[in-house]
Amino acid sequence: MSGREPGTLGEWLSAGGPEGDVVMSTRIRLARNVADYPFLGRIDERRKAALEHSLREKLGACLDAPVYHDLEAATPVDRQCLVEGHVISRDLAQGRGARGVAVGPGGVLSVMVNEEDHLRVQVLRAGLAPDEAWAEILAADRRLEGAIDFAFSPELGYLTACPTNVGTGMRVSVMLHLPALVWTKQVDKVLHAVSKINLAVRGFYGEGTQALGDFYQISNQATLGRTEEDTLRAVADYVPHIVAFERNWRRKLLAEHRAGIEDRIWRAYGMLERARLLTSEEAMEYLSALRVGVDLGLIGGVTLAAVNELFILTQPAHLQKLAGRELDTPARDEHRAAFVRGKLARLN
Amino acid sequence: MICESCNQNLATVHLTEIVQKHKKETHLCEACAQQKGLPGKDFVSAAKSQFSVKEFLGAIQGGPAKGQPAAEAALPAGLAEPCARCGLPFSEFKATGRLGCPGCYEHFRAGLVPLLEKIHGTTPQHVGRMPRNVGARVDREKLIAAFQRDLTLAVEREEYERAAELRDKIRALEQTEGTRTA
Repeated sequence: MSGREPGTLGEWLSAGGPEGDVVMSTRIRLARNVADYPFLGRIDERRKAALEHSLREKLGACLDAPVYHDLEAATPVDRQCLVEGHVISRDLAQGRGARGVAVGPGGVLSVMVNEEDHLRVQVLRAGLAPDEAWAEILAADRRLEGAIDFAFSPELGYLTACPTNVGTGMRVSVMLHLPALVWTKQVDKVLHAVSKINLAVRGFYGEGTQALGDFYQISNQATLGRTEEDTLRAVADYVPHIVAFERNWRRKLLAEHRAGIEDRIWRAYGMLERARLLTSEEAMEYLSALRVGVDLGLIGGVTLAAVNELFILTQPAHLQKLAGRELDTPARDEHRAAFVRGKLARLN
Repeated sequence: MICESCNQNLATVHLTEIVQKHKKETHLCEACAQQKGLPGKDFVSAAKSQFSVKEFLGAIQGGPAKGQPAAEAALPAGLAEPCARCGLPFSEFKATGRLGCPGCYEHFRAGLVPLLEKIHGTTPQHVGRMPRNVGARVDREKLIAAFQRDLTLAVEREEYERAAELRDKIRALEQTEGTRTA
């Protein structure tokens, strides 16, 4: 696999889904545990390995053409690539013992094995596509429940290691790109409103990560006492308001501060085209501006899909994978700049 | 890593103790950890997922009236015994925010119900879908009937809090009748 682009880029990056100018992706995940096994904090290594083995086989039989990545055997760079591609969580990458992930065609469906729960089923779709994502994950869940006896109680629903997930075990997350709201300092208002209606806000790489590249993930908190449809609507119905807010500010900035906004975007583009050293943070910041420039039609030749992919391909593990060897931070900054330059030169 | 106490088993319980601002790390196997009874409030767990634990602890702290030691004050008797199925002591759950097995939900029910109400902001009654095999086993009407019997009993015994809880459950079940997708 070394020396070329790792196969962790899901089709959600390039598919250009609904509201794709603002909504990067819609993700749904379901937490599931196998009845008759302890949760992972209380399982011994032998049983954990047996569980992984059994689940790996069942996933192979239940899902359409999954590729299974054994994460205990995988190199740290390969594991990190999967994190950067939003295929697995940091917790799973950094965990210990028998664990893995089954990934379906196009990276739409993936199932983590032995993360915090025995199974974390997830569907990742481009743009705002809650209903499609729900239909897909429901179909997968039904196939899995035919083969696996899930820990379930009629009173508390699907039983999970952490009581914050018990019930439906469902988390709906929508990743939003909100640069205009960040630049005009409107974003705090939105985030405050979001938290008022009991939704959680997270960064580009989920829990505890910063809002790199002006990306924000909005997701439900509660999982007990509401149906899956309620949960879906609670998140999805709110998103179009934020999308409209971001779009209005993008247009307003262009109408009222054209020189300023153009300068900001062209400077970012210039940096990406010419810089010889690019840190990860710089790349995220400039790519964010470039993304708006493409959306506003200021910059031609570059597609949203290409910018979306650059956000992932310029992450540390992806760069190392492309280089075919380990790179320290200064070397990565150099490789990152060269890679972005090359990509943009080819697009024009 | 080997348990520091018995020097035999694999250490699976990792605790960071803070004594007079000095950090002390302890690595124990489950048996030794249990033997030591691990007083939850003296330990800060080196939890792997800080957000959920914080979220969870936030929920606990937001619970009882000010000035009360939060979870301690709310703990009904019966939580002293570790989970009958997996051996998890409630103190460890308080430290890590993670339960040990599906059986913990039943075993620690008295301690968990108030937390679940706090976290999810509603009476703890699942109304989402259920696995088809469970759906066949659990007849919803039977469940409602059972809750109604419990409710009558609770009223007779003047256990009004329990009665209100059961009434809410019955309502929740009735309201979602027919909306299931499974």
